[in-house]
Amino acid sequence: MRYEAPEKLSEQRRNGDEPRVGVFVCHCGGNISDIVDVEKVVEQIRKRSGVACVTTHQFCCSDPGQAVIEQSIRERRLNRIVVAACSPSLHELTFRRAVARGGLNPYLFEHANIREHVSWVVDDRKEATAKAGRLIRAAVARAARLAPLEKRRIPIHPSVLVIGGGVAGLTAARDLANRGIRVRLIESTPFLGGRLAQLYKIYPTGQRARDVIGGLIREVSSNPLITVYTNAELVEARGFIGDFHTTIRLVPRGATERCTDAQAAINACPEETVDQFNLGLARRKAIYLPYKGCYPSIPAIDWRNCTRCGACLEAGGVGSIDLDEKPREIVIRSGAIVIAVGLNTYPPRYGEYGFGQFAEVITLAQMNRLLDPTGPTQGELVVNGRRIRRVGFMHCVGSLQHEGVHKPMRDGRINQYCSRVCCTTTMHTAVELKTRWPGVQVYDFHEDIRTYGRRHEGYYDKVCRQGVVFLRFDPLRPPRVGVDPKGEWPLVLRTVDRLTFGEELEVPLDLLVLATGLVARDMSKLVDLYRCSVGADRFLMEVHPKLRPVEMATFGLFLAGSVQGPMDIGESTAAAAAAASKAAALLKAGQIELDPFVAEVDTSKCSGCRICLQACPFAATDRDEAARTAKINQALCTGCGTCVASCPCNAIQQRGFRDDQVEAELLALLEAEEPVGV
Amino acid sequence: MTKIKPFYDGLVLGGGIAGMQAALDLAGQGFEVLLVEKEPTIGGVMVGLNKVFPTLDCSSCICTPRMAEVAHHDRISVLCYTDLVRARRRNAGFEVILRKKPRYVVEEDCIGCSLCELACPYFAPHEFDQGLGARAAIYIPHGNAIPQVPVLDPDYCMLDGNCARACPKNCIDFAQQAEELSVGVGSIIVATGLRLTPMGAKKQYGGDRHANVMNPLAMERVQSSNGPYGHILRPSDGKIPRSVAYVQCAGSRDQSIGVPYCSRVCCMYALKQAIMIRHQRHDTQVTIYHMDIRAFGKGYEQFYRRAQSEGVRVVKAKVARITEVENGDLSLRVELIDEGGRVADIRHDLVVLSQGTIPGWRPEGALPLEVDDDGFFAIPDIAARPANSTAEGIFVAGVATGPKDIPDSIVEAGAAAMEAAMYLDRVRESAGEMA
Repeated sequence: MRYEAPEKLSEQRRNGDEPRVGVFVCHCGGNISDIVDVEKVVEQIRKRSGVACVTTHQFCCSDPGQAVIEQSIRERRLNRIVVAACSPSLHELTFRRAVARGGLNPYLFEHANIREHVSWVVDDRKEATAKAGRLIRAAVARAARLAPLEKRRIPIHPSVLVIGGGVAGLTAARDLANRGIRVRLIESTPFLGGRLAQLYKIYPTGQRARDVIGGLIREVSSNPLITVYTNAELVEARGFIGDFHTTIRLVPRGATERCTDAQAAINACPEETVDQFNLGLARRKAIYLPYKGCYPSIPAIDWRNCTRCGACLEAGGVGSIDLDEKPREIVIRSGAIVIAVGLNTYPPRYGEYGFGQFAEVITLAQMNRLLDPTGPTQGELVVNGRRIRRVGFMHCVGSLQHEGVHKPMRDGRINQYCSRVCCTTTMHTAVELKTRWPGVQVYDFHEDIRTYGRRHEGYYDKVCRQGVVFLRFDPLRPPRVGVDPKGEWPLVLRTVDRLTFGEELEVPLDLLVLATGLVARDMSKLVDLYRCSVGADRFLMEVHPKLRPVEMATFGLFLAGSVQGPMDIGESTAAAAAAASKAAALLKAGQIELDPFVAEVDTSKCSGCRICLQACPFAATDRDEAARTAKINQALCTGCGTCVASCPCNAIQQRGFRDDQVEAELLALLEAEEPVGV
Repeated sequence: MTKIKPFYDGLVLGGGIAGMQAALDLAGQGFEVLLVEKEPTIGGVMVGLNKVFPTLDCSSCICTPRMAEVAHHDRISVLCYTDLVRARRRNAGFEVILRKKPRYVVEEDCIGCSLCELACPYFAPHEFDQGLGARAAIYIPHGNAIPQVPVLDPDYCMLDGNCARACPKNCIDFAQQAEELSVGVGSIIVATGLRLTPMGAKKQYGGDRHANVMNPLAMERVQSSNGPYGHILRPSDGKIPRSVAYVQCAGSRDQSIGVPYCSRVCCMYALKQAIMIRHQRHDTQVTIYHMDIRAFGKGYEQFYRRAQSEGVRVVKAKVARITEVENGDLSLRVELIDEGGRVADIRHDLVVLSQGTIPGWRPEGALPLEVDDDGFFAIPDIAARPANSTAEGIFVAGVATGPKDIPDSIVEAGAAAMEAAMYLDRVRESAGEMA
């Protein structure tokens, strides 16, 4: 935000120091005035000392409403402003700007909340009117004692840290670097690409997922402004907007850039383990490359399964493998951070729709690996040695859960939310299936089909035409999976179909695909380090879903992609670009302006007792050893007031919340009510 | 009024929430932006909404500050009541011809005092209130409009001069002409939003014949505290409705009217309006007849369950036809899936048709852009570059690329601004290399 230059604040000088408070009471289009008798409040406030004028408006926040404030400052020579309206979290900034445009210091403004604190919570008109009156006169009393303040200006370190090397993180990194901004991207696994690399084709374009992610990785890896760190773990984070210091631990990769014959090294490895990239459908060596064309193209050692036998060393050639390299820690400085750590698919519990019990029950993500010609079955539809002829898709596994029907997750909560992408992914997969193997029978078990996005409905329409049979179940009575009593098919699904008005059906299948939902990753370290807000759905929470959908409550942290909630690829890339846009705006400005409400020390009163040093939760207080008094780092101070309260000498005051200001406010609030209705 | 410069880095077409956000995000990165809106005020569809799902925030509380921010931004110029005539590629950017429509009011002199409006004796259906209220022939679009300058509607004006006599600044100009402007721009962001399918699109619903079959935007106005009635009434006789029906997919997922796609927001706004009705009138029954409830977004399913717990009835049934019966009541013929497929005629006082979302604007040669068969702008790489159109230097955001809710529109606007910023950098770099 920008305020007018100080020389323009002429009204302030002209309007003098003697308080002339202008009060503006908002109707909020009836939100307030339907409950609060605004006229009565106006009458009361008009009589208070120091009040120069009281004005009402339908919407003070609107352009004409703000214009009234600006005009009144000039015409009525006001030097303190009170607006009684909604919550300051919504419009304090709006009104401060209006006050600045009117020619006053923006901090000569006080906001009284008579909507959230009064009209929305008090039903009785008389009580509400009295409470609104009290809050406004307290604001007036405080406003009369306000002093002009100046914003703090903090320089921004000209680089961004992107956490996460999936499609969202890569997109954000590319976009920022394209705007000339230095980017460091950290990825916790040894390879870039995230979940997208594991998909086969993506909707609604039908592109090969690997082409999309491969193109993006090429752009990122060839941009000299981007440094990529793989195998990087978060260790420590300090700092604040403009100057974050993040410590990461780089786990050795094992193989080095001198590894010219990766395949020989891999072949030599005697240790086999489950292939996570193929979601358990195949096995791989302890030294591995997840897929052909991955980035980096240097293999990585999976230390949990490596026995350090040295077989790869000999096969890979001199200097190709280093088994003795130690993890090292580095500190990354950045002005802003983009969080793009993505999400996980819901892990079905043992026995949930037969998962784990029957080899013929797999997840939609595993199905994607089966369809991939470079996947574990070379794209053949063979499961448990059987060529598949009857496939069922089960929607909402791990999503749209109900208390009492579904078992809670580890944190005791069920997943009420919709995972957004599974319906269309299922339709898209079914199209692929019916196109490649028209003879395969496909059944779809759903409670709702949510093909909401652009071209999504087209897939739904297409599979209907391709002869997929849709069965709709009651969410409180989901289908049950069992064995075929005749032994003809590996599985039988029993369900009550709503579309045939409650008919009980038995559907024999030789493959059941669970459209598993999407769940937040375990982000406890990240949440802890950066003090992130987490929603009830365990995803990270934005400041405001509409006003600021890619920003976090901590300044300088931005959200990109599905770390925030389920999203498809296009939605993730859009969110990443939007996050990049916010970060770029911050960095291009070169500095950030912060509110001036910091604590300050009156050194003449300070005894140098160090109590405030222990009290400060942000390490903003320090001691000036020469003067033997406390001092406060203005960039780190968040204005929480803890040091003010802890000081035994009353030597610390907080700007904008000085004792005399707070006292005046409290006294006015506690004043005896003037008799009503006479 | 803003003084229009000869050159801008970005032209944003459309002053709705997506256009405003794109303008703010591009200007926030240091670029000069011109925002052009065809209506007399910015704010788009959103400023007319009552509350927004799933948070039930008051829509104008969120939208009006954005409008003010755009209007006051140092690097954004706003031109309302202006159409794009055409944009032609010139060098790496575009030469844009704009047509500023006559307001018949001298914008620079107007102080927004509304005296002309009060003096005018002629009335017309109020567009902002979806035709439910009335406005004068010269009028400020609504209380939160930006700019606060009236516009004269020549279709209703009788030229009797009342407004001109009332105007203290002498700024009514009956002879004002449309003005053509030529501006150079480096890039274009198209955020031209949406329209709803016509009320008469489904003949069997009689949306254009029955007085008590409403359009959802009209319902937003009816529910708004600053709307035409101040509370919920039905249009035909002012009766407080005891039983309201929502007919879902009344203009979407329907090949017969040429809208085969899902309009993406109707399930949620129907649930939201239903909740608001229940809040205002505890004894009014609300029934939503649907095919699927597509509560797919963040917090949406939880909102759906909240609606049900607050007594909103959600019935899986496709409505076959709506007939007007006595007293202006309506009878809905439905097949009740969960009652053995029983066909029933159910009576309601008021019906809201959840109409489909269609593109707000078609370029028709004004811009070198391709549209898809769904009518929205074609996006060649919708997964990896969701804001890039078929033409270099032109980006698309919001409903212009397909139906979208407010959060998704805002996010996409950010993406479009980022793409435009990168494009401008690239163009400058290559220009620098040539020089």
